[in-house]
Amino acid sequence: MRYFLRRIGFFIATLWAAVTLNFIIPRLQPGDPAEIMFKKLQGKDAELDPAKIEALRAMLGDPAGANLWDQYWNYLGSLARGDFGISYTYFPYEVKTVIGVALPWTLVLVGVTLIISFVVGTLLGAFAAWRRNSRFDSFVTLGSTFIGTLPSFWLALLILFAFGYVLGWFPTAGGYDASTPGWNGEFLADALYHSVLPASVLLITGPIGWILGMRNTMIMNLGEDYVRLARAKGVPDAQIALRYAARNALLPSITGLALALGSMLGGQILIEQVFDYPGLGRLTAQAIDNKDYPLLQALLLFTIVGVLVANLIADVLYGILDPRARKVTS
Amino acid sequence: MALLEVNNLSVRYEPKLHRPLTAVDDVSFSIAEGEFVGLIGESGSGKSTLANALLRLTERPARISGGSIAFDGRDLVTMNEDELRPYRWRDISTVFQSSMNALNPVVRVIDQFRDAIELHSDLRGDAVVDRVKQLFGMVMIEEKFITAYPHELSGGMKQRVNLALALANKPRFVLLDEPTTGLDVVVQRSILEAVRTLQAEQHFAVLFISHDMGTVLDLSDRILVMYAGRIVEEHDSADLMRNPLHPYSKGLMGSYGDPRAQTVRITYVPGRPPDLSAELTGCRFAPRCPERIERCLSVDPELLPLDGARVACHVAQLQAHPEPGVTVPPRSPAFAGPEFVKSDDESKQALAQEAFVSVDGVSKVFRTRNGMKFADFTAIDDVSFDLRRGAVTALVGQSGSGKSTLARMITGVEKPTSGTITFHSLDGEALEVGGMRSGALRDYRKRVQMVFQDPYSSLNPTKTLGYILSRPLRNFGRLSGAELTKRVDELLEIVALTPASRFRNRYAYELSGGQRQRVVIARALASNPELIVADEPISSLDVSIRAEILELLHNLVQDSDVSILYITHDLLSARMLADEVIVLSGGRVVEQGRALQVIRDPQDAYTRKLLDAIPNPFADLDRPAAAGE
Amino acid sequence: MSTGVTQPASSSDLPVGGPELAEAEAQAVEAAGPRWWQIIWANRKAKVGVVILSLYVLVALFAPWVAPYQGTRTDFEALLEPSAEHWLGTTTSGGDIASQLIWGTRVSLLVGLFGGLFATAIALVIGMISGYFEGTWIDEVLSFLTNVALVVPILPLIITLMAYTEDRSIWFTIFVIAITSWAGAARAKRSQIITLRNRDFVTAAKFSGERSWTIVFREIMPGMSSLIMAGFFGAATGAVGAEAGLSFLGLGDTSSVSWGTMLYQANQQGALAQGLWIWLVVPGIALAVLITSFTFVNFGIDLLSNPHLREDG
Repeated sequence: MRYFLRRIGFFIATLWAAVTLNFIIPRLQPGDPAEIMFKKLQGKDAELDPAKIEALRAMLGDPAGANLWDQYWNYLGSLARGDFGISYTYFPYEVKTVIGVALPWTLVLVGVTLIISFVVGTLLGAFAAWRRNSRFDSFVTLGSTFIGTLPSFWLALLILFAFGYVLGWFPTAGGYDASTPGWNGEFLADALYHSVLPASVLLITGPIGWILGMRNTMIMNLGEDYVRLARAKGVPDAQIALRYAARNALLPSITGLALALGSMLGGQILIEQVFDYPGLGRLTAQAIDNKDYPLLQALLLFTIVGVLVANLIADVLYGILDPRARKVTS
Repeated sequence: MALLEVNNLSVRYEPKLHRPLTAVDDVSFSIAEGEFVGLIGESGSGKSTLANALLRLTERPARISGGSIAFDGRDLVTMNEDELRPYRWRDISTVFQSSMNALNPVVRVIDQFRDAIELHSDLRGDAVVDRVKQLFGMVMIEEKFITAYPHELSGGMKQRVNLALALANKPRFVLLDEPTTGLDVVVQRSILEAVRTLQAEQHFAVLFISHDMGTVLDLSDRILVMYAGRIVEEHDSADLMRNPLHPYSKGLMGSYGDPRAQTVRITYVPGRPPDLSAELTGCRFAPRCPERIERCLSVDPELLPLDGARVACHVAQLQAHPEPGVTVPPRSPAFAGPEFVKSDDESKQALAQEAFVSVDGVSKVFRTRNGMKFADFTAIDDVSFDLRRGAVTALVGQSGSGKSTLARMITGVEKPTSGTITFHSLDGEALEVGGMRSGALRDYRKRVQMVFQDPYSSLNPTKTLGYILSRPLRNFGRLSGAELTKRVDELLEIVALTPASRFRNRYAYELSGGQRQRVVIARALASNPELIVADEPISSLDVSIRAEILELLHNLVQDSDVSILYITHDLLSARMLADEVIVLSGGRVVEQGRALQVIRDPQDAYTRKLLDAIPNPFADLDRPAAAGE
Repeated sequence: MSTGVTQPASSSDLPVGGPELAEAEAQAVEAAGPRWWQIIWANRKAKVGVVILSLYVLVALFAPWVAPYQGTRTDFEALLEPSAEHWLGTTTSGGDIASQLIWGTRVSLLVGLFGGLFATAIALVIGMISGYFEGTWIDEVLSFLTNVALVVPILPLIITLMAYTEDRSIWFTIFVIAITSWAGAARAKRSQIITLRNRDFVTAAKFSGERSWTIVFREIMPGMSSLIMAGFFGAATGAVGAEAGLSFLGLGDTSSVSWGTMLYQANQQGALAQGLWIWLVVPGIALAVLITSFTFVNFGIDLLSNPHLREDG
């Protein structure tokens, strides 16, 4: 029980730290952050809408030039109400709404490819470890190492260039062509068609981490005495690989998977940018281009909270799956 | 027909980057149904490699390179994994050396029994649970622990569980590979007793592998002595004790003495085993052998029958069947090599010396935090004693007795909760050890030095021996330049690492365990200390060389004014080195007195328990060593 | 392979049986183990890594002599095909691709070197202090900080930090990358120092009269050197990749040329649609090969800290 309380304590403390960090970042530069932002924005679009200024102030937790402490409380208050302000990029829509539109795109694209990558990567890694030093192992290990050195967005550019432009097999930008998104076959097929290229990049680069991680832990576990004992017991090879080595080696991957699922909320910024895919990642890139601070900060907070929740779930799960973890104090 | 028959078995290691070596070389022996056979060997003898081969668990880069292992008449070596499976755990089971990791940490104990039982029998469901409960009963563990996870069990309990697991399918042959190494002496004793009782009841055959001659002799009917990949002697236990044939066996026997004797003598085998990856000619033990003759250096001796036993030694054979023109030393059961002698008279003299460290009413309470709750644990409870100049005092106790905590307080690492420790230095100062700040503590350490248990971890692997020895000389003695080098060389020579110039620039990992411990002792001597605290300095060394280190420490006390506080769990070695023995149990001194007196006439029940835990097959044997009375 | 590696430490010679054999033992002692550079050099991958990395360093150092033009010049005719004047042709805005590529080496190596150094330094300080004071409140605080930094997603954080500032200099990029990417290494160092600190040789050093800082830096640190090196190359790899990604998002230093900004411009100016594949492919290859060399060098360093890996070659 203490283990779980500790994990929840860590979650709350980290959440607070993240929220506060988000409050501090805009104030790191000397001077009034709102003033600085006004100046930057004025350079961008000449006539600054008063509503935008208001939105900016609200985001900074500073509706009436209050002191830092009050600003902080106002900021926490608006977060609690779920009020992240208004996006300039998609003015006059609220940040909440903008994120809500982009979220499903990322969830489906990144989520599905992540889960496939995890399953495929873990299996390949486990098998490579089991057949250590075989040709399969060297192929998988060398292949992963090679792909791992390629910058993923460059790989995305190459794939887009080859299959989108040169061969023309797939669309070069966007998430769909159909005018109205909706739950109809035509739209879904169209969306699927658009997602082939970005998904393929994610499926090429995605499994690498899982392969190498699983292979390492599995090799370590295969050297443990309890695996040797299982062999002495006459447990069949397949069972040793699955029930002894792989089961134990999978435990660390669970934390990894949870973290990856959590950080999914940040979208795949670079990949979505390359394919102009309408998810959270492209939203981030747009927010950067337009100096859309309310949107940018909400996205950051959103990602962090996602990761923290996922991390909490992973810790709890780990505590249930590995009886030793509950004993460890830190 | 024997149950297990091993013929000309060889196991080779063929690593990619190192020279290949044959770790088990042409080994043959057999074990009959229900027989208890001991296999004794020291580090590097190939005993664990042999164990793995017998279980067909040999893994790359090792492989069985020749010979056969016939079980019930069928050769295990040529079987594939599917053919082997029916034998595994039903006929042949094992208890591994590192008991701590042999159980899968994330699976409940009962489930680890379940797969072993269900794979090889028709028992299912509740029948399995009943069987596990029955097995737990055999090894005397409460039934409620069947659903525990391994980390919830103590070290001793884990090893009992492993033993129960080995017996799950009523095997015909159980291989015990150092089953109690690393466990406390008293726990060790109780587990071995369980083994003996169960073996007597169930009549399974056992191959018991250990480096500890005492326990092997105690338990086994017959003994195999292994050295450098070969079996050098095979002998019935009782006969081996009285009449060892191979000089190496004699050396191992000689490492034990009767602690009750007025004057104890124990021998040691100088040097170290050969490098098996090099070209070897002649007898592998010849370079360390005090009885060797010309032939030993050129002709490899075969394992041949002699007096109802088998021995691989030219000299032993020639002693029994003389050849004209070849002279051999006369036959003797004693090892003709160097010997370390400790007499009770020395102790009497030493105890007349003045006391210079007084431990007075010292207690140590540790406060541990468990969530919000604090728990006090009294590690040392009102302990008082004196250390005498030029004497060796042994602090004896099991793990958890508080002996290491006490040592830490005497060296100033830890502060007593109450009571005082006073150090009267040679220059007349009386130092209060408890309340020292870092500067004073540094000065104090010039006077009190330490020798550690594990010479592998007490020497920095990234530093040369010269650097290691120069640091205390520089820091305490303010030496530098040629003077420093000269003193480093002197220290190396004091501990017999000669010539010093050859060792100065070497790293610790290039030395053997015994040599490392010599370096550790040299470092302790560098500051000309008045007291050396030696914390189990020989327990991680091979038995056959332990006396060598004891002798070195003994000579230091004789030749200089230094005193030693010797911390150990082993009463025999305490008797060998110490003048006075203090027995510690549960943080209290339960017995204190002249070494021989404590051993011969223990007053406290706990001391007697410790004495009983020492496997001492020689106790009722008439040995020359005991004749001193 | 790797026949250059000598014998293990345990491969002593003949044992001593008498005085005449003491000589043999002393000689055995002289068969020292392989030195670290021998181990690295004996590994094929590591050797390749060292060679490639050296080439990059040379190109970066001698960029003014190697490159035909300044990397920032954009006054050439646009969209020229590769020729003797323009080895890899020119961009849509009249930049010489070959020169940009060569000057870009400087940026990437600079970011790799200093990003790696700073991140390693932060990790080292936090990890060492936290490990050395294990169990105290100092450790509690630093460990909490490390755990927080470990779960916070790095790229979005870097992007937000970068987006808030007008400072687009390479040093600011290095700074931001360093302060966001030290946590994993700090945790590894903490646990290693805890293992090392509890070794007897540290206690022994205290008994040799050593002061705390001597113990940390002369006794403990050398044993961690391979971990520190591995951490450095890991951090450098991350920094190089992060710089490229940031530049690709338009958050890079506009006053100098890096491979990331080359790709950014190529993407922005429609290199894909126009089929300008050289512009697209070349910076990526340069990046990939540099990262490969880091990875390969790290294989060699792994061998140092993990002797049993040497078996696998």
